[in-house]
Amino acid sequence: MTIKDTAAKPKLNVDESIYQRSRPIGANVLFNAIRSASITHVITVPDTHQRTLLELLANSPEPKLITVCTEDEAIGINAGLYAGGARPILLIQNNGFYACLNTLKAIPLDAQVPTLMLIGEHGRDLARPSRNNADLSVRMLEPTLEVWGIPYYRLEGPEDMVNFESAFRQWAEQGGPVAVLVGAPTSLEQPNSISRSPSPVMLSETPSVDDIKSVGGHKEKS
Amino acid sequence: MMRRQEAISVLAASREDAISVAAMQAIMAWHATGQAEIDHLDALGCMGSASSLGLGIALARPDRRVIVLDGDGCVLMQLGSLVTIAAQAPKNFYHFIFENGRYETSGNQILPGFGKFDFCQLALAAGYRQALSFADAGELRQALSVIYAEPGPVLIRLEIAPDAPVTPWPDVTMHTQITALRARLGVVAS
Repeated sequence: MTIKDTAAKPKLNVDESIYQRSRPIGANVLFNAIRSASITHVITVPDTHQRTLLELLANSPEPKLITVCTEDEAIGINAGLYAGGARPILLIQNNGFYACLNTLKAIPLDAQVPTLMLIGEHGRDLARPSRNNADLSVRMLEPTLEVWGIPYYRLEGPEDMVNFESAFRQWAEQGGPVAVLVGAPTSLEQPNSISRSPSPVMLSETPSVDDIKSVGGHKEKS
Repeated sequence: MMRRQEAISVLAASREDAISVAAMQAIMAWHATGQAEIDHLDALGCMGSASSLGLGIALARPDRRVIVLDGDGCVLMQLGSLVTIAAQAPKNFYHFIFENGRYETSGNQILPGFGKFDFCQLALAAGYRQALSFADAGELRQALSVIYAEPGPVLIRLEIAPDAPVTPWPDVTMHTQITALRARLGVVAS
C-alpha cells in the first residue's frame, strides 16, 4: 500500500547549488570550536547526525556532556546552568526540536535565555535542499524556525564553520535561542582543517567560491 | 493531609540560603510569604520544567542548596526528569512535590492514575538517594533539618488538600528573575 503524503510542499525559491557540496563535517573541528568558545556543558538527547561529535564529547572531561531524556529537560537545564553562571549549549535533532516547542516558547523566547541549539537534520536527503526534502521533519525545520522567529545558521560542510562562529557570536551577544542546523553528518575521518577532497556523500560538483559565499543560510531575527 | 500554605510556611522557615524554583500551585503561596524576592525562579508557562531548572542551578552552583517546589501534574508531565536528576546526582538538590491529585489551575481535574502511582517509589526506582512522604506539617518541620543534612537528590512528597485554583500569576518575569539571580551569584557576562 502506498501512503500518499498530502502535506503541503511549498515551492520555494531555493538555490539548490548551495547544497551541492553537502558532505561530512569534521567532528573534531566542531569539538574544537565548542572548546574554544569555553562551553562548560553540552546537554543532549542524542542525534544520529552528530554521533561522532557526541563520541568525542563523551570521551572528554570538558565540556561536560549531560545526556537527558527529553529536549524539554535540556532547555530547562540549560536555563538553570546559565542562571548559575555556566555556558551550556544543546545538541539535539530536528524531531526533538518539534517535541519541545512549548518549553522553547516559555524559556528561550519569552524569558530570553541564551540557548544555542545544534540541531541535526535526521532523515535528510543530502542531494536536496532541506526545504525540498520528502521527509516532513527535514522539510519543515527552516519554516518552523522562521515562524517562531528563531535565527538559524546552516552547516552543510566544513566551509560553513564561519556560520558556526557567527551563531556563537550571536548567541553570546544576544538573549534567546539560536539554531545551528547540522545538515550533513559529522565525521571522525575529516582532517582538522577544511578539505576540498570529495567524500562518500559529497555530490560530484566541487563548490565554487561564489557558492561558498552564498551559503550564509542565516536569518536575522526580526 | 496539609493545607498548601502550611507546607509553604514550613519550607519558608527552614529555607536559609537555598535557591528556590517553584511551579504552578506553589508559586503564589511562595510569593505571599516573601520568599520569591531573591534567589528564586518561577517555572511558568513550561509545565514540568521546574526540576530541570533546579537541576541546572544545582549543577552550576554545588555550593548552594537548591529546593524545587513542584506540582504532581508537573512531575507527571516530565517524568523522565527523575531519571535525569538521579543520573546527575546533585548532592544539593531537594525536590518537594505538592501532591493534591489535581490539575488545580485548569479547574481541579483529577490526575490520571491518582491513587495508583507513588512518587516515592518512582523516585527511588529512578535512582534518587532518598524519598520521603509527609501528610503533617509538624512532622515535616521536625524532619527538614535531618533531610537537609543528608545529600541529595532527595524527593519529598507532600500530601496537600485540594484547594481553589490560585490566580493571578505574579507580574515578575523569568527573565527578570534569572537576571537578578545571576547578579546575586556574581555571574559576570562573558
